[in-house]
Amino acid sequence: MYQKDAVIVGYAETKIVDKSDRDIWELSAEILEKVIIQTGIEKDEIDGLVLSSSMTAAGSVFWSQTNADMLGLDLKFTQTVDIGGCAPLGSVARAVMAVNAGLCTNVLCLFSDTQATEDNRRVRAFQQEWTNSLGYMGPPAAFGFITRRYEHQFGLDYAALGKLAVAQRNHAILNDMAVEKLRKPITVDDYLNSRMIADPIRLLDCVMVCDGASGVLVTSRKNAERKGFSKIVVPIGYGERTNFRASEAIIDITDTGHRAAGEAALSQAGVKLSDFGSFHPYDDFIIAIVMQLEMLGFCKPGQGCDYVRERSFSFDGDLPLNTGGGQISAGQCGLAGGGTNLVEAVRQMFGEAGSRQVSDTKTALVTGIGGIPYGRNWATSAVMALTANG
Amino acid sequence: MTQLNNTTEVVRDPPAPRSFSKAFWDATREKRLLLQYDPRNKKYQFIPRPTSIYDGRRQLEWREASGRGEIFSFLIASHANPPFRGHTPFAIALVTLEEGVNIMANIVNCELDKVRIGLPVKLSWLALANGANLPTFEPLD
Repeated sequence: MYQKDAVIVGYAETKIVDKSDRDIWELSAEILEKVIIQTGIEKDEIDGLVLSSSMTAAGSVFWSQTNADMLGLDLKFTQTVDIGGCAPLGSVARAVMAVNAGLCTNVLCLFSDTQATEDNRRVRAFQQEWTNSLGYMGPPAAFGFITRRYEHQFGLDYAALGKLAVAQRNHAILNDMAVEKLRKPITVDDYLNSRMIADPIRLLDCVMVCDGASGVLVTSRKNAERKGFSKIVVPIGYGERTNFRASEAIIDITDTGHRAAGEAALSQAGVKLSDFGSFHPYDDFIIAIVMQLEMLGFCKPGQGCDYVRERSFSFDGDLPLNTGGGQISAGQCGLAGGGTNLVEAVRQMFGEAGSRQVSDTKTALVTGIGGIPYGRNWATSAVMALTANG
Repeated sequence: MTQLNNTTEVVRDPPAPRSFSKAFWDATREKRLLLQYDPRNKKYQFIPRPTSIYDGRRQLEWREASGRGEIFSFLIASHANPPFRGHTPFAIALVTLEEGVNIMANIVNCELDKVRIGLPVKLSWLALANGANLPTFEPLD
């Protein structure tokens, strides 16, 4: 699938806020304007728009078209991608396919959500029939099952989870775009002592739902060369897996679709894990980071905490991780939240991360997690490998 | 010893069955736990679905489960939204039934410290306002 002929030439994000006083379309317009100014690619040249789904958009069955109208875009290709937290990575993957197929040239991938202020969701899934009557509280409960099972199978060092929480928090403090409420230092003890939400899930395991937007501009390599962009980031491998091991009634819930999606992305990319200069895993819960380290092959299943203990995840450490703070410390912009870590990876590779700039900007690895099914782990796992000026 | 809240006082909205799950909820009125069974692949599945997860064929049977199983994983809710607010601590577990499926349910008549992965449990029922019953599980001994 990956011809590597579509590239990212621009990125943008809004400040993440705990409650937005601005409408979702105003946030989207900010992304559009920033990308135009950054790239010099004018509005009339943008002929593709791929949107992540959003809680605010829920129920709007004409979302792509309405956004095109609000933003004044005349499009050859548009689509809304509905794979939850994987939607931003999935949007880039679909934009790349559209460009490679010759359908369009300049695609704005736009990730906006104001879930904290305006959540319009009405889920048609298993919850009403099978979990609401149990007091099941959604993602924290799902990750409660996963965490407890992980601990049963492998043992779990909660201090190692705390170390990851602290590393991300330190990055959010360096990130002006992170939600202000979370830009305060924490310690491993703060993590361990934070109150239980769905024991074993603690408050500091969880994301805080926020409002915000981000986006990237994808164009053809030919167009990027014609325009003479000096900074480009190339998606060189992508793997996506939905409903992993669907034909089994009971699965090991510590075994996730990232195992398969990671293999696919890395084999397309032709790079080794040790080549990546930074790692930007989707972080809805801290344990998800440990499980992704294992599934992607940084370490063996069950050895994630050992791996975490032995390394530094600071922007200037062994494996720079979620250098903008991740969603857990920068704030989760609803279903657009997967864009936060993606945009941070691109920013790092452009060398524009300021006081938290990583030294190795050649390659980065970004992931997604989306959707919570009944009694399994998560619905979609996505992995994208990026290289700079490739 | 802290006793888990049995959540029997919680006023739950009865689930609205779908065309392919109605048999499950109808059977709970007689306190029978039915599971979908795929006779071709000789396997059960849960939650009820409109097709076999094994081969995509729609022909499935309903078979009554033994009601015995063991805890696969669990969490203790120490914080809850209405209508469960004020009824903590309560437990939600994934229970592996003898038939080879996982079902999510509240654990009742159990002490907090006793809940563990692998705990043998048996089926019990909690009445819903519409005459149907909600499956719950309690320690076997």
